[in-house]
Amino acid sequence: MKNRDPNRFWNPYVAGVVLGLVLLGSFVVMGKGLGASGASLRLGVAALELVAPAHVGATPPLARTHSEGSPLDNWLVFEVLGVTLGGLVAAYTSGRLKLEVLKGPHIATAGRIALAIGGGVLMGAAARMARGCTSGQALSGGALLSVGSWAFMFSIFAGGYAAAWFVRREWQ
Amino acid sequence: MTIFPFDSLSAGYREIGLVVGTLIGFGFGFTLERAGFGRAQKLAAQFYGTDLTVIKVMFGAIVTAMLGMVVLSGTGLVDFKAVADQATSATFLWPMIVGGLALGVGFIVSGYCPGTSFVAAASGKLDGLAVVGGVIAGQLIYAELEWRPWLAHFHNSSNLGNLYLWELLHLPARTGPAIVALGVVAMAVTAFLFSDWIEKRFIARATALAQPEAAGRKGRAVFVGFATAGAIGIAALAIPTSSHAGTREALPIAQLDLARLVLDEPWKVRVIDVRPMEQCAKRRIPGAECVPAGKLAALQLADAPAARDIVLVSAQDLVALPASAAGFPGRLHALAGGFAGWEQFALTAPAPLAPDATPADRNLYRLRAGINSAMTGMKTAPPPPASTSTSAGAPKKGGGGCGG
Repeated sequence: MKNRDPNRFWNPYVAGVVLGLVLLGSFVVMGKGLGASGASLRLGVAALELVAPAHVGATPPLARTHSEGSPLDNWLVFEVLGVTLGGLVAAYTSGRLKLEVLKGPHIATAGRIALAIGGGVLMGAAARMARGCTSGQALSGGALLSVGSWAFMFSIFAGGYAAAWFVRREWQ
Repeated sequence: MTIFPFDSLSAGYREIGLVVGTLIGFGFGFTLERAGFGRAQKLAAQFYGTDLTVIKVMFGAIVTAMLGMVVLSGTGLVDFKAVADQATSATFLWPMIVGGLALGVGFIVSGYCPGTSFVAAASGKLDGLAVVGGVIAGQLIYAELEWRPWLAHFHNSSNLGNLYLWELLHLPARTGPAIVALGVVAMAVTAFLFSDWIEKRFIARATALAQPEAAGRKGRAVFVGFATAGAIGIAALAIPTSSHAGTREALPIAQLDLARLVLDEPWKVRVIDVRPMEQCAKRRIPGAECVPAGKLAALQLADAPAARDIVLVSAQDLVALPASAAGFPGRLHALAGGFAGWEQFALTAPAPLAPDATPADRNLYRLRAGINSAMTGMKTAPPPPASTSTSAGAPKKGGGGCGG
């Protein structure tokens, strides 16, 4: 057994091929792509239902998550459960499982968390507008040559590079 | 015939499908973590040119899955377009561009994308957990608003349906994915080489936590693998019998069944008469389109909506399915006996019914009489009134409809 070095990662090209094989397996066996943000909505609806079930029923986009019964009884939710377990096992076995806040050296923890929440809200809304996130739309749809997925992917990079300069203090 | 995907995993064996989903997700999450995507600095470094792991992994995965699909559909095990129609959403061009720009901003601000935030949260990163919560909130907020009129208009605008790059380039459905895939591989390899070059330039500015990994021997092995898979995909295209187009047959449809369709449910069927134009112009099945066999390709049936079945009508029984029709995604029939058989069937007026005919007989008479009159221009006698009716009805009372 080699020493676990938290700063050692897979060769990016090898990781890309492995990720591609997982995606191919999903296409071939299930006829579905990978995804993430769809499960986020279902988690949110399940939580919202505990406090305001009537509101969920009265809002069509939220009510639609009930088409199979519980909003959590869905392939994407189980797939994301798998993502979480896979991430946990990979982090544990590589020595990266640690309670911490990741940030650049020049930003306070509270600021970093605030930006994480704000960026997350923006991404959640954007993924819903684009009918999918980086996983479901850009990666899965891109591999299947969907026009919208490729437009979306290039837009992500454009948006990221355009905003990078403004938040450079967060990372550098 | 295609074998995959196993549709039962989304229907009868749903529970097993959910277990498979968890396993696939496990592989996804494990790989993302090992690639370094649970670490915000490594993801953010993509946008500062110091570590381009994101683009390498992402394009590597896209190229691998895409080439795998091209090779497998070349062997006939899967159908590229059928999986794509099932697994991708329709293209909503402007919402996707605006959504992409916003997601890109959210990516660099938060340090993760929605998928990698789950991995980061699972490995104990509290900023990752914050992003998970933020994404959930953002999804709920947008779902609250997307159906309000002021946003619904944009949200549902520029819907181009399921649109693929090969269709944009007007390439045929069978070879298009493979040809576009080659272009994507070329673009990806260019991006890989460019990324390695950028990283070398900016590496001095990289922080210790975001050090890129050189391509090295493993990277070159991956390039060779891509080239091999691409070559196999091209070779599979060259084998004519390997695609479903070569093995497909039109299901025969009986004259009576077709008569029932064109008279009772004409919206369910599209009748295409492939005989020479003069013959078709002279006499054809009601509602049939005259498209001589040589012109069939112009209909682009491979891209036609699958909701309406297609019935091909030739002079005699259809000998071989035209290649231009084989790509049609929906159900494809050929009229049994061809038009010659149809004429015999349709031009013989049905024998008059006995007054005690069963309802099935009466319906058959109605169909045959309808077809006969449509083909000959002659009306046959309506079926005699049913024997069960006792009288022709009581004489009408005088006065308006309000009386009585």
